[in-house]
Amino acid sequence: MITEALAGKTLLVTGSTGFLGKSIVEKLLRSVPDVGRIYLAIRSSTRRPAAQRLQREVLASPAFGRLKGELGEAEFERLTAAKLAVLEIDLSRDGLGLSEGSLARLRECQIVIHSAAAVEFDNPADLSAQTNLLGATRLLETLIKTGNQPHLVHVSTAYVGGMLRGLVKEELPHDPGLNWRHEAAVLTTLRPAVEEESRRPEVLERLRKQARSRLGPAGTPAQARQVERLREKWVKDRLVERGRVHARSLGFTDIYAFTKAMAERAVTELRGEIPLSILRPSIIESALAEPQPGWLEGFRMAEPIIFGFGRAVLRDFSGLPDSLLDIIPADYVVNAVLAVAASPPPAGEYRVYHAASGSRNPLRLRDMYDQSREYFGEHPLRDRWGQAIGTPTWTFPSRGELTAKGKLALRAVGAAQQLVERLPLGATSTRWSDDLTEQQAKLERSLNLADLYGVYTEVDCIYDTHNLISLWELLPPSERATFPFDPATFSWHHYFQEVHLPTVIRMARADTGPRQGPGPSGSTAPKPETSSALNTLQRRAGRTDVMAVFDVDGTLIETNVVEYFFWMRLRDQALSEWPRFLAQMAAQSPRWLYLERRSRAEFQRSFYREYEGLEAEEMRLLGREALQAVTLRRIYPEGMRRIRRHKEAGHRVLLLTGAVDVVVEPLAELLGVDLDCAHLLQKDGLFTGDLQSPPSVGEARASLLQEYAGRHAVNLAHSFAYADAISDLPMLELVGTPVVINPDARLSQHADQRGWRVERWKMAPGNWRLPMPDPRSATHREAARR
Amino acid sequence: MSRPGAVLEVDRNSPPTLFHFGEGVRLERLPLGSRILYPPDPLEPIAHPERAIRRALAHPLDDDPLKELLRPGMKLTIAFDDLSLPLPPMAQPDVRQLVMEEVVELAAEAGVEDIHLIVATGLHRRMTEDEIRHIVGDRIFTTFWPDCLYNHDAEDDDENVRIGTTPDGHEVTLNRRAAESDLVVYVNLTLVPMDGGHKSMATGLATYRGIRAHHNVDTLLGSRSYMHPPDSQLHHSCIQQGRLIEDHVRVFHIETSVNNHAFPTVANFMQKRETDWTPADQATYLALKRLSDLAPRDLKRTVFHSMKAPYGLTGVNAGQVDQVHDRTLEAVRKQMTVEVDGQTDIVTMGLPYLGPYNVNSILNPVLVVCLGLGYLFNLYRGTPVVREGGVVIMTHPCRYEFDSVHHPSYIDFYDEVLADTTDPAQIERKYERRFAEDDWYRQLFRKSHAYHGVHPFYAWYWAAHALAHAGDVIVVGGEREVVHRLGFKAATTLADAFEMAEQTVGRYPSVSHLRTPPLLLADVR
Repeated sequence: MITEALAGKTLLVTGSTGFLGKSIVEKLLRSVPDVGRIYLAIRSSTRRPAAQRLQREVLASPAFGRLKGELGEAEFERLTAAKLAVLEIDLSRDGLGLSEGSLARLRECQIVIHSAAAVEFDNPADLSAQTNLLGATRLLETLIKTGNQPHLVHVSTAYVGGMLRGLVKEELPHDPGLNWRHEAAVLTTLRPAVEEESRRPEVLERLRKQARSRLGPAGTPAQARQVERLREKWVKDRLVERGRVHARSLGFTDIYAFTKAMAERAVTELRGEIPLSILRPSIIESALAEPQPGWLEGFRMAEPIIFGFGRAVLRDFSGLPDSLLDIIPADYVVNAVLAVAASPPPAGEYRVYHAASGSRNPLRLRDMYDQSREYFGEHPLRDRWGQAIGTPTWTFPSRGELTAKGKLALRAVGAAQQLVERLPLGATSTRWSDDLTEQQAKLERSLNLADLYGVYTEVDCIYDTHNLISLWELLPPSERATFPFDPATFSWHHYFQEVHLPTVIRMARADTGPRQGPGPSGSTAPKPETSSALNTLQRRAGRTDVMAVFDVDGTLIETNVVEYFFWMRLRDQALSEWPRFLAQMAAQSPRWLYLERRSRAEFQRSFYREYEGLEAEEMRLLGREALQAVTLRRIYPEGMRRIRRHKEAGHRVLLLTGAVDVVVEPLAELLGVDLDCAHLLQKDGLFTGDLQSPPSVGEARASLLQEYAGRHAVNLAHSFAYADAISDLPMLELVGTPVVINPDARLSQHADQRGWRVERWKMAPGNWRLPMPDPRSATHREAARR
Repeated sequence: MSRPGAVLEVDRNSPPTLFHFGEGVRLERLPLGSRILYPPDPLEPIAHPERAIRRALAHPLDDDPLKELLRPGMKLTIAFDDLSLPLPPMAQPDVRQLVMEEVVELAAEAGVEDIHLIVATGLHRRMTEDEIRHIVGDRIFTTFWPDCLYNHDAEDDDENVRIGTTPDGHEVTLNRRAAESDLVVYVNLTLVPMDGGHKSMATGLATYRGIRAHHNVDTLLGSRSYMHPPDSQLHHSCIQQGRLIEDHVRVFHIETSVNNHAFPTVANFMQKRETDWTPADQATYLALKRLSDLAPRDLKRTVFHSMKAPYGLTGVNAGQVDQVHDRTLEAVRKQMTVEVDGQTDIVTMGLPYLGPYNVNSILNPVLVVCLGLGYLFNLYRGTPVVREGGVVIMTHPCRYEFDSVHHPSYIDFYDEVLADTTDPAQIERKYERRFAEDDWYRQLFRKSHAYHGVHPFYAWYWAAHALAHAGDVIVVGGEREVVHRLGFKAATTLADAFEMAEQTVGRYPSVSHLRTPPLLLADVR
């Protein structure tokens, strides 16, 4: 019935770059070989034209793997060239932005499958309205304008009925007395208002404070960019929030269901003489058998929950354990779409179908929980130490209870995070902060999940599938095997244990096997898998236009400007003078800590005042000694190895530091690399305590680097930068390969967000010493006497 | 007359045995019937060292008195052993100081003005000002430092010369100042029979190109007894190089030997047999044990490394190197030799905090191997104490700790090379060149106080013979990951180590314990 009805027909599929869309195209090509022509509605994106998107985003998908295997590459190419064609359609524009030729082609279409949608539940309100509601109406209006009357299959969602109880019939959803035109106008015009709101002084002030606290030492431009990013996020969050509240207040689960419901109203109202079928799938999950078992794209609804359960991130979940969780395998939906497409209602009529499992093969929330428990019991996920993670026991509390608990925990973690970020503990605080960030992310994720999907686990209704099953009964047995869509034909146990859960694990790239052998440990070298920078380095070997810029304090050496000074001054004084000097330094330290947190530049300026009145030549000699006593003792061996690798590869190496010349010059000489550091002004052989030029921190470092790159014909996009602190952010942003070494808490978060390489370099253990010369040394005694 | 060395058997009445354990000590019960090798007690030192030195210089062996070799206007170079000798460093005055003061005085009397003193560091690290001052004494230091008293620099191409090739085809290099001197006086201190003789000049004032002739796996595997020069290919090679040097420059050798009084009064118990411990010794043991269990590592290290040995001079000889060295070896052997009957299945040894290459520094894992398998294992004459295929059990905490100033190339050796292989031959083939010629190590070696880039390789090669000889090596109390990286087995207690050794040597093995330091030389018959 299906193959005959579709043979020779010309189809249009919208949303063909999406999961459902490409599954439909694939099934058509494979199981309905006599289909006439399939137009794929694809819009050119800013990055690539529509024809390329067809190749890259549709045909290259693993969905077509089976067909390619069956036909062979050449035959596959021939088939797709013969059957598929791109029709450039832009659903966000009135009239779909069609050219004359496109319009003519649209006129040829006999069946239009509209599967384009913004399916995320947490999309901003305006985007959902544009895509889901206005997209459908624009398509329909254009079809009417062509004068053609193709069969329109509108793919909707079972949740358009909102939060209902009891049996939901295959008819138009309840009408809360809304005008879809009005709703569309409200939702699509939200953005300017929210944008406006985001620029209110109190909002901007708050965002600026946030940015300063996170990026203070990175300099003004970086801060400004951060404020803008935060503002954009603020706008998006607001729009999402608006959409969610709007939908809930009108009795819908979320903005997706709401806009889809409005779209159903709109298409039935506007349909004119066009035969219209509305197909409402429930929650679409991985394919049972076709094109291959477990075919799935992207994490959808149940996966985050299942995965969160397996990782024991979701310690508990709200919902009614006996409520129906209406899941339907993707290939069943695809087959249902084709069956519906093959049976158009009479002209001017419409028919609604539910593609849902609830009435034929019910799955309860507790069943899914039991299935997951069984699966993870046998195939536990592993944590980063290779230990099996035990699954939590869910008690199914109410949503309110769970949210309240989660929010409380989140607040506690947030407070701890604030505290830790302000501790002057270096690497230790980074580790704590990273742990806290991880905790925070976990909590936020579980709260989010509970909020987004919790509703679906409280839905207490059954979707009637009478219309769909009537189609099923008309299907001859041969086609029933090719196009199964009756949910009663499979078992949930098989589906979860053999198909779906393994897919979830595979897609999450989670480890379920025990770890392979012990990694190299107790070594100052980073683990090989963490050092992708080394591979990049190798690839760029032999290029003279590549440079590697290294920050020094904290990146190559576990020390800072204070310690050198400390050592040199102690070395310079007799033992009896030490207590007075130490007391002086101790009294100053709180102020320095405060300044260091606020701005590197201010700190350095203030600190270098301590050099006032010291003999330059004497300090230069002491600086050479400090090389042995402080610098080389606190050095990171991996840092030295990396510099040598860069030099071997022929790269130019530059040390860029705020430390004074007397202490870093000896190191740069030893390494044989270029150096840019602070220089102190001298008068009559004494330091004045002033810097020759402003300290090179934050954006000043970036411009310094640019200037250097220009002077030496260096291609920054292919260069490397190594740094450890947030004040180096502008410098890191400038190069193609930024590598973050032992980041402070704030930089760690940044690196994480941007996917920068993070390496942990260690000092060789056993070398940590107070920056204090040996008071027993005869040389010291003699020098002090002089 | 001091008591000679002895082999005592562990019976029911034996007290527990002392094991050195890095910067710490432990008492262990050895199985009944095990034998413990004790070194002889310290020999009576020469009562008037200065007089003995003067006599040796005035009546050299097979050479003219030093006084007659000195004349005005000549170029005189005095070279002396660096801080790797003796161990632990000698309390002031160091015998080298006494000898050099005498030599300098004679030179001054003879009107010699151009005198240079060079620390014969070879590929060892540059010594610091304080360390040099400790060896040469204040008088010489203030007179000559820094222009005429300095460290040999094996990587300074301008300051070293190639003086020829040995009959075996090995290159011989020498410090330029020494090569161009009218007379080189070498002041040596011999602690074990491996040191001194021709080896002093051939390694101490040479460069990598010269030293690699004998510091390599082949030579060391061919040296069946490092401590018995006639049996050692290492020494044959050094002698060839030394002869060539003597053909080229006039050398006057002064060798000294000391007794084995290695520990100061505070650590007197380490010097004594357990049966001889007085209540005071037991108390110091307990105190030290507590300290080493509880104190932070840095503090322990500082305390241990500040111990200086009250060595006494037992011999001083001057003149032609071969005759001088024979006399020195005789004195050294007299102090160290313990006669032992036959080999055993297992040898146990407690590794102390100090080896030749970590004075004022950390005994890192590579040096642990060098000390245990390179030095202590080789303290024999004839055949090793442990039979071929037997088990070596060592006690040391074996931590992942490195001195980044002194041992930078060791860190990379451990992180990169040992992660790949522990086989000396393979290591030599695959990695030695790269480390030896690495620019960064060369810089650190010359300008900082780092051992030469190739030095960790030599430390490892030194163990090559033991690695080939022993069936298994077990480290008691070591960090497990580190011990595994070194290619050994880790045991928590000595009892466990014996259990583990069972697989290699059977249920009832024979056991020898080297109760050292103080150092001993097992004369196995």
